[in-house]
Amino acid sequence: MTTVPPLADADSRPDTAGIDLRGVVKQYGTQAALRGLDLQIRDGEFFCLLGPSGCGKTTTLNLIGGFVAPTEGEIWIQGKRVDQLPPHKRPVNTVFQSYALFPHMSVLENVRFGLKMDRVPRDVSSERAAQALGLVGLEEFGSRMPAQLSGGQQQRVAVARALVKRPAVLLLDEPLGALDLKLRQRLQIELAQIHRDVGTTFVYVTHDQEEAMSMADRIAVMNGGRIEQLGTPEEIYRGPVSRFVADFIGDSNFFEATVEGAVAQLPDGSRVACAGGRSGAATLMVRPEAIVLHGGDGSIAGHVVQTSFLGSYIRIAVETPAAGAPVIVALRDGAAVPALGEGVMLSWTAADGVVLEPGPAA
Amino acid sequence: MAHDVEVLSRGARVARALLNGYALAIYLFLFAPIVLLVLFSFNANRYGTFPITGWTLEWYRAAVSDYQVHGAVTTTLKVAAQVTLISAIVGTAAAFPLVRSRLPFREGIRIVLILPIMIPGLLIGVSLLVLFVSTFHWQLSEETAVIGQSVYTTPFVILLVAARLQGFDNALERAAADLGANTFQRLRRVVLPLIFPAILAGALFAFTLSLDEFIITYFLIGANNTLPIYIYTQIKFGITPEVNAVASLLLAGSLTLLAVAFALPQLVRRARRAVMRVTTA
Ligand SMILES: Nc1ncnc2c1ncn2[C@@H]1O[C@H](COP(=O)(O)OP(=O)(O)O)[C@@H](O)[C@H]1O
Ligand SMILES: [Mg+2]
Repeated sequence: MTTVPPLADADSRPDTAGIDLRGVVKQYGTQAALRGLDLQIRDGEFFCLLGPSGCGKTTTLNLIGGFVAPTEGEIWIQGKRVDQLPPHKRPVNTVFQSYALFPHMSVLENVRFGLKMDRVPRDVSSERAAQALGLVGLEEFGSRMPAQLSGGQQQRVAVARALVKRPAVLLLDEPLGALDLKLRQRLQIELAQIHRDVGTTFVYVTHDQEEAMSMADRIAVMNGGRIEQLGTPEEIYRGPVSRFVADFIGDSNFFEATVEGAVAQLPDGSRVACAGGRSGAATLMVRPEAIVLHGGDGSIAGHVVQTSFLGSYIRIAVETPAAGAPVIVALRDGAAVPALGEGVMLSWTAADGVVLEPGPAA
Repeated sequence: MAHDVEVLSRGARVARALLNGYALAIYLFLFAPIVLLVLFSFNANRYGTFPITGWTLEWYRAAVSDYQVHGAVTTTLKVAAQVTLISAIVGTAAAFPLVRSRLPFREGIRIVLILPIMIPGLLIGVSLLVLFVSTFHWQLSEETAVIGQSVYTTPFVILLVAARLQGFDNALERAAADLGANTFQRLRRVVLPLIFPAILAGALFAFTLSLDEFIITYFLIGANNTLPIYIYTQIKFGITPEVNAVASLLLAGSLTLLAVAFALPQLVRRARRAVMRVTTA
């Protein structure tokens, strides 16, 4: 490493390990792709950027990788300001969505490429490349050409090629997007294992909430160039801060409500339990699996309009005057399933009635 | 041709047969003279035309041992080699800004760069003649012919390389940058190897075009003869079977080169794989 000149001391803050984005804005012409992003990613964590298409995930990743320059703001990696450094001078490597394997090089040459650029001696680089291929379970494939590999294998080569340089941060832009569901689930497990093995910070972009939930230590849910909520999968699932987040992560039922303490009054006049937190007009959110078919105080009445057997659970749709759209209820397999058209009573515990800002459907 | 509809009415069948016949007639018209030329080059008849009185290699023997033919072939190959080198280097360099930079009027620049393909050779020849002789006061030589031919052949290299660059996956260059390659290393390790088949094909194209280029060369080469010019001067004294033989050889050479140019991407890929197998084994 080069020695740091004294003047640059003000620029290096060892207390901020990991990645630190401060007030980052990215404009494309008049259109803002990112509108003031503040984000701290901890050293060694598996971090997911999650959001719908066009919300700025790739832009954020490209800013960290150095392919895009910020219009405003600062980017720090491991206590070093990097936003004016070109990609090949950042301690960051990327797994591209299209894999971007060099088609004219063998798998081994691909993996060794980064070490060759660093002038690592050939015997050392061969050994490290073989190690990296072993990490992704492809030690036998070094002499193959990329075109001779399946999609899943190419994906793993891309991971090995990026990890062989032992970067402080690995960026992954929807790396499993092109694969089918079964393979995707298997590679999700493998990637999480690799993350534990190497201890590198992973920044993982996806629009698939299940993928984010299953792999991430923490998730940033993005919307329209901003971070809407940041937290662990469980925090976000149980306590979404907005209707957008609740809608995006998992299934949810929404009710227009007027809240007073721990009681919410629904449009049809029924009074149900809620977690409270704000008073007056609000949106009440209840997860399908939190609802039980149980009458009594704080329940709403409706009738079943659809029942679907979905393997691990049974989903029923209940039409009720308390909500605009049918309420979705997830019953565990083995529970008593009401018949089509049957009248049912729905209730939930106060903690499961999440109170959000009022607002129409996104 | 892939037939869009397999079940046809009788009228459509007749129309299709007529069309096929028409196409056949056109091909005959285009290629019959060439076939005849090759045929006559083996014809024992000393006037180099019908009737065919027997088969002989005599005219090839005569052509190969003729010192004038030797001189013309040497000049042709020397000129073609230089033209090939210049077109490949200049054409590749020109293709990059054409595809990659955000030049204003890029479409206009593109048209200007490939204009020499469409301008009559006569115009290129005359205008360069005026420039070289009246303005620069140069002696006409092989070199002036090389420059003139390069004006005409370089755009073909530009077109081929630009097409290849257009289809180039930019993520590959990003990946190289991400892995630590600077601009020069990206060019050398990733971009050039991947567009190399196009450069080579362009170079072969330039070589082939140069071999039988006549008009521009005629204006600019001065006292020297290339093969096409030699053939032309011979024909002035009547078509001899020897000329047929020389032309047939030229044809065979050009066709071989074109075949190689088309097969090239495949060949390069295969060679690379073989090398890779040896080095990584
Ligand atoms: N090179 C670009 N030029 C103009 N607009 C862009 C460019 N890249 C991205 N954008 C815009 O920025 C926004 C965010 O894009 P992106 O980060 O790719 O979103 P995501 O990866 O979340 O789908 C989008 O509205 C997109 O249209
Ligand atoms: Mg994206």
